Amino acid sequence: MWRTSLLAAAAVSLLSGSALAATWTGGDDLPTNPLACDGAAAAAEAKPYDGGTPTNAPDRKGKEITVVDVPKLIGIGYFNATSKGIADAAAELGNVKVTTDGPTKANIDEQITFIDNYITSGVDGILFAANDPVAIAPVLKKALERGINVVGYDANSTPDARQWFVNQAEFNGIAKSLVDRMAAEIGGEGGIAIVTSTFTTPNQARWIAEMADYAEKCHPNLNWLETVEAQEDNVLSFNQATTLINKYGDELKGIFGMTSVATPASAEAVTQAGQCGNVAVVGLATPNAMKPYVESGCVESVVLWNPVDLGYAAMQVLRKVADGELQPGATSVEAGKLGELQVINGSEILLGAPFVFTKDNVNDFDF
Amino acid sequence: MTAAEVARPPRPSLVSRTLEAYGQEIVVFAAIAVLFVVVGSVNPRFLSDSNLISIFSGNAYIAVAAIGMSLVIITGHIDVSVGSLIGALATIAGTLAVSGYPVWVAWVVPVLVGMAVNAMVGAVIAYVKIPSIVVTLGMLSILKGGLISLTGGAWITDMPPAFFIAQQRWFGIPSPIWFMVALTAVVALWMRHSPTARMFYAVGGNAEAARATGISPERTTVIAFTLHGLFAGIAALLFATQLQVIQSTVPPNLELTVITAAVIGGVSILGGTGTVVGSTLAAILFACIGSALVFLNVSAYWLKAVIGLLILATVLADMARRRRYRRI
Amino acid sequence: MKVLRHETVLAILLAIALAILAAQSDRFFTVDNLLNQGRLMAEVGLVALVMTFVIVSAGIDLSVGSIFGLVAILLGVFWQNVGMPLPLAIVAAIVVGVVAGLANGWVITRFKVPPLVATLATLALYRGLAEGISQARSVRGYPEWFFVLGQGEVLGVPTQLWVFAVFAVVASVILGLSPFGRATYAIGSNAVAARFSGIRVDRTILAIYAASGLMSAIAAVIFVSRVSTTRSDMGTGLELDVITAVVLGGTSIFGGRGTVIGTVLGVMLIQALKNGLALSGVKGDGTIVVIGFVLIASIVFSNLFRRNSDG
Repeated sequence: MWRTSLLAAAAVSLLSGSALAATWTGGDDLPTNPLACDGAAAAAEAKPYDGGTPTNAPDRKGKEITVVDVPKLIGIGYFNATSKGIADAAAELGNVKVTTDGPTKANIDEQITFIDNYITSGVDGILFAANDPVAIAPVLKKALERGINVVGYDANSTPDARQWFVNQAEFNGIAKSLVDRMAAEIGGEGGIAIVTSTFTTPNQARWIAEMADYAEKCHPNLNWLETVEAQEDNVLSFNQATTLINKYGDELKGIFGMTSVATPASAEAVTQAGQCGNVAVVGLATPNAMKPYVESGCVESVVLWNPVDLGYAAMQVLRKVADGELQPGATSVEAGKLGELQVINGSEILLGAPFVFTKDNVNDFDF
Repeated sequence: MTAAEVARPPRPSLVSRTLEAYGQEIVVFAAIAVLFVVVGSVNPRFLSDSNLISIFSGNAYIAVAAIGMSLVIITGHIDVSVGSLIGALATIAGTLAVSGYPVWVAWVVPVLVGMAVNAMVGAVIAYVKIPSIVVTLGMLSILKGGLISLTGGAWITDMPPAFFIAQQRWFGIPSPIWFMVALTAVVALWMRHSPTARMFYAVGGNAEAARATGISPERTTVIAFTLHGLFAGIAALLFATQLQVIQSTVPPNLELTVITAAVIGGVSILGGTGTVVGSTLAAILFACIGSALVFLNVSAYWLKAVIGLLILATVLADMARRRRYRRI
Repeated sequence: MKVLRHETVLAILLAIALAILAAQSDRFFTVDNLLNQGRLMAEVGLVALVMTFVIVSAGIDLSVGSIFGLVAILLGVFWQNVGMPLPLAIVAAIVVGVVAGLANGWVITRFKVPPLVATLATLALYRGLAEGISQARSVRGYPEWFFVLGQGEVLGVPTQLWVFAVFAVVASVILGLSPFGRATYAIGSNAVAARFSGIRVDRTILAIYAASGLMSAIAAVIFVSRVSTTRSDMGTGLELDVITAVVLGGTSIFGGRGTVIGTVLGVMLIQALKNGLALSGVKGDGTIVVIGFVLIASIVFSNLFRRNSDG
């Protein structure tokens, strides 16, 4: 018994020593590009098209095409919303048959197998949201070699493995929105903590890295305390957020929720701890899950692009690519009801600025 | 090798007898106590009311599910599908609640469904003579895939306020803690004193010997699995009503967490021994470790490694303790 | 012959499945697709080969997925952060995999911890080490020659399928024909009796778990080569896929019974179902349900056959 406790104590003390990190835990180590504090748009560098090209793609102009949508995982609100947008666009276009299929957990191996199977089954187009930008690349390149049109959304692959990527909002734009909202709600200074899915999720890691640099530059009095992992798990997110509240007490002024699972769970934790008004929750989330907290006033604002629009745009872009109307070098693309969308970074299509849900508009959305 | 088989030392003291009978529970309890003392002295907020409540209630649903799992393991079986079952039952509860059925229907139906499903699983295991791990591996796939197929992966929101039983507080203490403590106490007493419950140990210890004394291992297995379904149903309710949103996917590896809690609690995976007090303590220990790591600033990157080390240390300590008694 | 009964059922089942799936989609039964499926199943297959030994010896190894992840991460770390040449990094990472397996075996034999408990603990421990060491960083940018293993072909057949075939033959010879295989069966049937009949039980078990670590490590290297990056969450849930294949292959979870041929058939059946159903338009969640039913049904059938032949 004593051996157990000694071992435990030794392990704990050993590890706690090595825990101090210079930057925010959970960010990646790619270079960041924080926006100007006043929101002045950085001069966009024109970049040549760096996407891939399908080999000997048949002429699909105006013909009915079969498309598969493989999100990171199925069974979470966010990707239900994107697949709804994709289905909406397909219905509007009338000449697209689309199915959404994917793994039940965010697993690179299973996602690759799914795409591989659909390549064999002979689809005309693939829409994807990558669990890992590099791991997914070989199978996407194989799809291009078979003449399949490949368009990504939500989470990118390496550029040469797909034709276009519909970018919901640039990483530094999301980071700025989140940090600005947080700073506004807690009065510019105080301790903040982050609840994320896992440190290996590329989008989340990118946002955290951008947030750290933007906060350092524009809101130096925001004091980062800690980042905790909570998978895509409701109850774990709730427990982690509660523990953060308990641990830091008055020191903690705000919690960032980095996923559509972590944000409502953090809001619930703040609500159940009776800390509404003392601890702000700012994060990425879908409106339905956040309605109770926005309506009760516990959460002031939720940052998100509209995932239904994201799916809609991805489908529209894929159709344009299949029709040969979107060629390398284009500077914008017409995406149905969304109008003109800009091309950035060579082969990315920007959905728009991130959207902020508040008490006034949260009931206008249902996803 | 169970404690009962060990040759007893002459005139054992009360202390050593207690240690022998409840050794694993004491090890787990001591681990919790050490964590409280160490972490509490580093950061006193660890011992604040609100944190203690979140430690005890955070894993209550796992503790409740582990009670049922203990019964199954004591009877000499295992269930790797419990995570998917909890997810399916939570979805049923949520769907009923938003479809306008009275709240009590949304609470009772999933529990009954859980019992029915697991009674069937138990019957296949007992009467068709298929190893439990095979049947439940199959059920794991069927339930997980079926759930996504039926729900389309949609989340359930907008349940009526009265539905959230796990958010209620009775006498200032959250209801999940009441459920956990009451169910553990009732089952522990029942396991100790009821002849029916002794059947579980008999069948798990040696099914053929049990048959010779007139116990039906088949019936016992079905009973154990049905009860397991009952506790899975209650666990699903606590899981579903804790937050305002019900996911149609359950926490990954939930079944492994539940099995680990039962095993760490001293339920020998070979069947025939163990108590449910240990599994509940183990579920609390997990919540305690999770919270302690945040409080001690252990880099979250190392969290799983620490949990693994602690599990290993607990198991090795238990083995060392048993061996000591064997030597006397 | 009785031992082969389940394998016969399985082979018939596989043939029926192939026939139905081929009728459902004309893209299923093509050389191209079948070879590609071989590529996709190699990792699970390799781990399943040794898992057959583990389960036949009445043990279980839940930590294979975590060893897989740990080795993948170390491969990248040894190569990029430590600066070893890549071949050396591969060897070093595989050695760590073997050590991880040995550690499992050591805890099981030295402390008499039940295998399920011991590997449950190392499941968390090894995954934790992978996460801690990687600090969530991926290692990418491997040289071109490394991809031959996971993405290349030899004589028109995916490289890893050759690897799998070689190991499958070796494993089935060892389990079926060698003294080591007989010792494995003996331990699984009755460890005490095996000990008294002069079999070195502990040493055999140690070797089996070390081999399990070795094979998880080799599978991890192949996987890294296939996807060209490393991540600490690689191989999550691998253990259940592998155990499903082995059990479907007719290996008794209580030990003492099972064959490598059965496991290979089990792996192939699962892969054929996953792929064939997808090609016939069944979605992923439907496929999981079917695999669950097939698992239970195949064991039910072979139990019925066995009972009939016994009576």
